[in-house]
Amino acid sequence: MQNVIAFIEHKHGAIRRSSLEAATQARTLADKLGGKALAVVAGPGAPNAAETLKKYPLDAIHVSDEDRFLDGAVDALESVAKGAGASLVLVGNTMVGRDVGSRFAARVDCGVNADVVDFRVEGGVVSCVMPKLGGLVITTCTLTGSDFGVAAIRPNVFAAKETSGAGEIVQIPSNGKASTVTVEDEVEEAAAELGVEEASVVVSGGRGMGGPEPFTTILKDLADAFGGAVGASRAAVDAGWVSHGHQVGQTGKTISPQLYIAVGISGAIQHKVGMRTSETIVAINKDGSAPIAEFADLLVVGDAFAIIPELTKLVRDAKAAHA
Amino acid sequence: MPDTNADKRIDPATKRLVRTGVETVLNPFDEYAIEAALQLKEKLNDGSTVTIVSMTPATGKEIVRKALAMGADDAVMVSDDALAGSDLWGTAVALAAAIAAQGPDLVITGTQSTDAISGDLPGMLGEKLGFPSLTYARTLEVADGRVRVQRETETGYMTISAALPAVVSVTKSANEPRYPSLKGIMGAKKKEIKQLAAADLGLTVAVGTDGAKAQLTDVATPPARAKGQVVNAADGAQGAQTIITFLKERKFL
Repeated sequence: MQNVIAFIEHKHGAIRRSSLEAATQARTLADKLGGKALAVVAGPGAPNAAETLKKYPLDAIHVSDEDRFLDGAVDALESVAKGAGASLVLVGNTMVGRDVGSRFAARVDCGVNADVVDFRVEGGVVSCVMPKLGGLVITTCTLTGSDFGVAAIRPNVFAAKETSGAGEIVQIPSNGKASTVTVEDEVEEAAAELGVEEASVVVSGGRGMGGPEPFTTILKDLADAFGGAVGASRAAVDAGWVSHGHQVGQTGKTISPQLYIAVGISGAIQHKVGMRTSETIVAINKDGSAPIAEFADLLVVGDAFAIIPELTKLVRDAKAAHA
Repeated sequence: MPDTNADKRIDPATKRLVRTGVETVLNPFDEYAIEAALQLKEKLNDGSTVTIVSMTPATGKEIVRKALAMGADDAVMVSDDALAGSDLWGTAVALAAAIAAQGPDLVITGTQSTDAISGDLPGMLGEKLGFPSLTYARTLEVADGRVRVQRETETGYMTISAALPAVVSVTKSANEPRYPSLKGIMGAKKKEIKQLAAADLGLTVAVGTDGAKAQLTDVATPPARAKGQVVNAADGAQGAQTIITFLKERKFL
């Protein structure tokens, strides 16, 4: 492999953070491979996204503003990759990133590695490092047997850095095809908020929260003080206190924030596998013998409902002092 | 796949998942797909049938049987040592061939499996079958030769539709999977499970370990997280101060 192509996910031109991480990492890997770092951005608003990408260290930004949902993205990626020749494609490990990356892989018959947290490049061969089984093992997989390969990078692991790079903007010619899927409408049910996968600080609540209210009050306030996101254990989601999108764990999301604060969460295996690769884990629990005591960096045994509001105040004060 | 609720261990010698003593279960995400198929069949009530297609070692037969006990009509099991070690791409190629041979109007999958945690297969099947793919569906309806779903997004949903045949992956919000009834369990014993080997698939490319395009080269066990400090907080202020001090030491604040 020689070139590296970052697939850019965006909403009407606003780029997801994981895609900026992909754009930055594309440069790092392309330098190791001795090739070019390219970006592909498709869909309504793509030209605006391309302007933002000019601040990232890319050689070229390929743009299609055709409105053909995921088909348009996969077609654009295929056309740029085939034009560039042997290439590694980076997508974010997100719903759209995974859909587009895997479809591209099926089309060009190449390997796909998901949830990548590190790369090794040796002699033009790219290997991807991926935690599996919730971080129980770390696997390394080589992309081989094709000119192409796809890696879905775990959000929040690679840096996104603006530089003086000024990638040339290139229009992707239309292939004249219609979308196989019709988008009839799009409904926002929640205010667009930072997801647990992308937040650098996650404050999660479990069974100990006792109801839905803390998820929109004390936990939310603490998460906001950090500029982070609210997560939840399966018990809290199954009880209907908070939506599934917030769930961390085996049947939810696997995340690696810099700081994970587990509130009223016992730390059952099912939850542990979703968060044990967090850089630092702080737990607040009534029970000092809860399983989470075994792997939290700090467990404070006490009443979360008394501690959290105090903590929120102190975090706000500390942030204000730095501002 | 192994039971979701069991703690998983890796054999340090073989670097493989220890499956002994862990009950093998139907992928919980696939139960939503089966339930969605059964509900659709019941609603259409037009003679449509539900066929289970599974790529699994021969030992997976009881799992396929459970899917039949839920109410599926018949099943196709793709089992062959030559398929062992297939990567995602190889799995998509082999499964698409087995599915294509059934001539389906609609292919319904789960969103992911909890053992390998990968949501990539539905879109790959769509590409290999030449069908549109509608992923992360929380509702599913079929009318006038089209399938319409609500696709979950991070902030809500979008309504999308496509002409049949199509691939749909359903999320766990789609339904509440039924338990097999006693009648269903008894009936499942008489239902056909068609066995397919790799040679039956008419593949023109190598799959399995040799054909894999993502080759596993290393499995390492990371060091276990060390047990940290445990501090008893007399009140909210003390608990909060303990955490702030810890976060400042670690340069979070």
